[in-house]
Amino acid sequence: MQTIYTLFLLASLLSLALYKKPLLAQKVGFGLASVISLYAAVFFFSNFDETLIWKLPGNFISLPQFRLDSVGMFFSFLVSFIAFAVSLFSFDYAKFYEKKANLAVFASLFNAFILSMLLVIASDNVFSFMLLWEIMTLISALLILINDGEGASKNVMIYLGIAQIGASCLMVALIIMASIAGTFEFSKFDHLEMGMGMSITLFSLLLIGLGSKAGMFPFHVWLPIAYCQCPSNASALMSGVMIKVALFAFIKFSLLLPQFAYFGYILLTMGALSCIFGIIYALVSNDYKASIAYSSCENVGIIFLGLGGAFYGLGTNSPIIALIGFIAAFFHILNHAVFKSLLFMLSGNVFTATNTRDMDALGGLHKKMPITSIIFFVTALSICALPPLNGFASEWIVYKTMVIGGIEEGASSRFFFSLAIIALSITGAMAIMAFSKVYGAIFLGVARDTKCVEEAKEVSFSRLLPLGLLASLCVGFGLFMNDVVSILSKIVLTIIPQTSVSTYGFISMPIIVMVMVLCSILPFIFLYLLKANNKEVRVTDPWACGFIYNKNMQIGSNSFTGDIRKALSFLLKHEQEIKLDGYFSKVVYTKKTHDLFWEKLYAPVIDMVMLIADKIGIFQNGRTNLYAGYILIYLCLVLIFGYYYL
Amino acid sequence: MDFVYLLLQLVSAIVVAPLFDGISRKLRAKFQSRIGPSIFQTYYDIYKLLKRGRTKSSSTSYIYQVSPYLLFICAAAMFCALPITYGAQSAPLSQFSDIFVLLYLGALFRFIFIVAGIDTANPFAGVSASREGTIGFYTEEVAVICLIVVMMGTGSTSLSYISSLVQEGSYGYAVPSFSIASTAFLWVMYVETGRKPYDLAEAEQELQEGVLGEFCGKDFAIIDIAILLKQMTVLGFFLVIFMPWAGLVDNPILSLIIFLAEIGFLYVMGVFIDNFGPRFTINKGMKRTMLFALAISCTSLALYIMGI
Repeated sequence: MQTIYTLFLLASLLSLALYKKPLLAQKVGFGLASVISLYAAVFFFSNFDETLIWKLPGNFISLPQFRLDSVGMFFSFLVSFIAFAVSLFSFDYAKFYEKKANLAVFASLFNAFILSMLLVIASDNVFSFMLLWEIMTLISALLILINDGEGASKNVMIYLGIAQIGASCLMVALIIMASIAGTFEFSKFDHLEMGMGMSITLFSLLLIGLGSKAGMFPFHVWLPIAYCQCPSNASALMSGVMIKVALFAFIKFSLLLPQFAYFGYILLTMGALSCIFGIIYALVSNDYKASIAYSSCENVGIIFLGLGGAFYGLGTNSPIIALIGFIAAFFHILNHAVFKSLLFMLSGNVFTATNTRDMDALGGLHKKMPITSIIFFVTALSICALPPLNGFASEWIVYKTMVIGGIEEGASSRFFFSLAIIALSITGAMAIMAFSKVYGAIFLGVARDTKCVEEAKEVSFSRLLPLGLLASLCVGFGLFMNDVVSILSKIVLTIIPQTSVSTYGFISMPIIVMVMVLCSILPFIFLYLLKANNKEVRVTDPWACGFIYNKNMQIGSNSFTGDIRKALSFLLKHEQEIKLDGYFSKVVYTKKTHDLFWEKLYAPVIDMVMLIADKIGIFQNGRTNLYAGYILIYLCLVLIFGYYYL
Repeated sequence: MDFVYLLLQLVSAIVVAPLFDGISRKLRAKFQSRIGPSIFQTYYDIYKLLKRGRTKSSSTSYIYQVSPYLLFICAAAMFCALPITYGAQSAPLSQFSDIFVLLYLGALFRFIFIVAGIDTANPFAGVSASREGTIGFYTEEVAVICLIVVMMGTGSTSLSYISSLVQEGSYGYAVPSFSIASTAFLWVMYVETGRKPYDLAEAEQELQEGVLGEFCGKDFAIIDIAILLKQMTVLGFFLVIFMPWAGLVDNPILSLIIFLAEIGFLYVMGVFIDNFGPRFTINKGMKRTMLFALAISCTSLALYIMGI
């Protein structure tokens, strides 16, 4: 495993060294990244059952140790596998940013980012973990800055700000845990002795610290801001795997605490809220990348629901619920990594072809980019959790966890698990609307802004290859659901030993596919028997009640969600603007939806900080005399204080 | 053998579905003091559609071509998930008849319906696609709340298992939450059949049929059958959970006949609500009427949570 880390480091340094030749550096950097991460993926997958330990050689202060157990192996595999697909994609895609940034730096940061994520997963020491965690944050912030432009630095500051809120909570929690355990090494943390209050406090701190990185509600505000600003390959990595690293750390640390059923309740509530708010904003957004970004919040919510079941099971000593809950969460983590990185890469394809992120300008792109469109269709189906794809498989197990959890006696568990199922079902209904809208608005219908779409063309084969690979995984993980579950259960059994797993009562995806295939034959028999008219189809304009058809007649992404917007007006804030100058000119009608939590929760705090900073600014006016005065005043105060109190 | 019965179940549903539609159309005409079409009119309609030539809008892509078949597959697979000719014992198929499989196949149906509507670039299709999604948003949670009561009460998500439990009488109307949930669930399933005051499948352009504005000829015929089949399925969904008495007969063919008769009865009875119900705009209609269903389902869930 140290070879892999070293190789990534070398690849990063090498691409930085080729600073003068950015195009070559891009080829070398991303090429190396894909080769190394493929090797890493194979390595981590083949060592699933083992525990690897590696000590950093040399004379450092804390002698950091890196340790990978089964769960760590799984997450390392996830990181390196998705990194493989994304770097293969970037091989061609990164050229798009040639004018914006030096590609050598881009490639170098990309490699360093993968390395930092792998190291965070492996690190076994509070200090090295925090250090690497911050490095990971900083590198991702720099990746956001690659796409420099208007507002970029503000967006990065928002991202870093929320990351800092999280990191400080995380730091406090880890230091308290370390002081109770009397050591800084996670592997020696077992059996922390503490009361219920302390345990729940630490759990909440961990949830804030790591949930904010994972995009949990109400810390989701950075998701659309950062992901829309990033180049698509970086956002694919960030959304696909970086938030999984946060989830890994969350699972790892909270398992160290004494378990209570309340953990489950907290997670179920936060998961349900994340699901619902994530998908509502994904639904009403007009920017396809923001839509995809918000849906990360939704999927993290679903993962939290699975984890909630698992922690409830641990807290109440019911290993079956814990087992199925962890399997559900891990399966959804795997699936989300696959389809979310896929969606971001596809959105990158669309953006490079059309140069716009506005769904109201796009349309009819299927005719220009058929393969991208079909892959997008498969991915949209799988993110909406439709059978027989992978999203459905993992969401079904989440549902199963909730149902098993709700059987137990006791009103509170029944209440929370029913709440979770309701949230999940609302999410399902809205996800269908959100992603049918995204797919329909981009690829189907007629181009709304012909200028954008006219020159679009299908992207190169080297970009489509990784997309096709991941899309086939979407189908494969769905079809071979039970095999994936049996692999995952092996990993989960290392967390909760002394239980056995059986897939009894699970649905069988091959049967579903078989029945669907059986059904698909019927209409053809039917058409053949009744001798249907098979004449060639005449092509006309769409019917418009006798008027001449105009491309603006088709439904826009705003009006598509109009009814739901009205129904949910208590949760969404609209800004409607109608510009009318003169009788004969066109009316410009815009409608914007704002993130309520940004406006109500974050904006006031930021405004206050700005105000305070402004007021404090008076003291710092650059005059040397005044600074000498400050020192004098300070010395006097120290003297007085010392005289009376010491 | 199970698969043969399954095929029989599906084919017989396809064969009789237009008849129920015809009867309900005739009945509706009688209510409106019209003579009305023959009860076999829906068969004639489908046959005529098959013989017609087709036109399509210039904007359409592959979605338009495959969507009739996809819609049919979803509706048919949904119907197959109803455990009528097979029970909890038949090994491979009982792994298929699951509540969430049924619900999410319905969601797949809705997804394709919406996407097909947007693909035609027809203004009405877009509006009704949006409506279809909105109705899904309103109905899904009420349906799921009722199903939570049943699923947690029986501890299983398998439809065949639940329906066998209710048949045996070890779980059923003696449980208050179950009997209250049945009311709300029937209500929602009625909404899902796409009738007034929520929808009117055969008329208004801006309603459900608007999506299909650009479909014609054999494509339209297949979609028509798919929609009829979906309407049968949602009523059957109610029957297999809350009135699974047809399964008490040992002979699968006999229980299929009884089951189809039950569905037909519910389908035709729907005309009474359909014909006398007022029409609302979507949000108002949903708020006026679905809130009651939501309240009923929440009551039943509350009863379950309290353990009554």
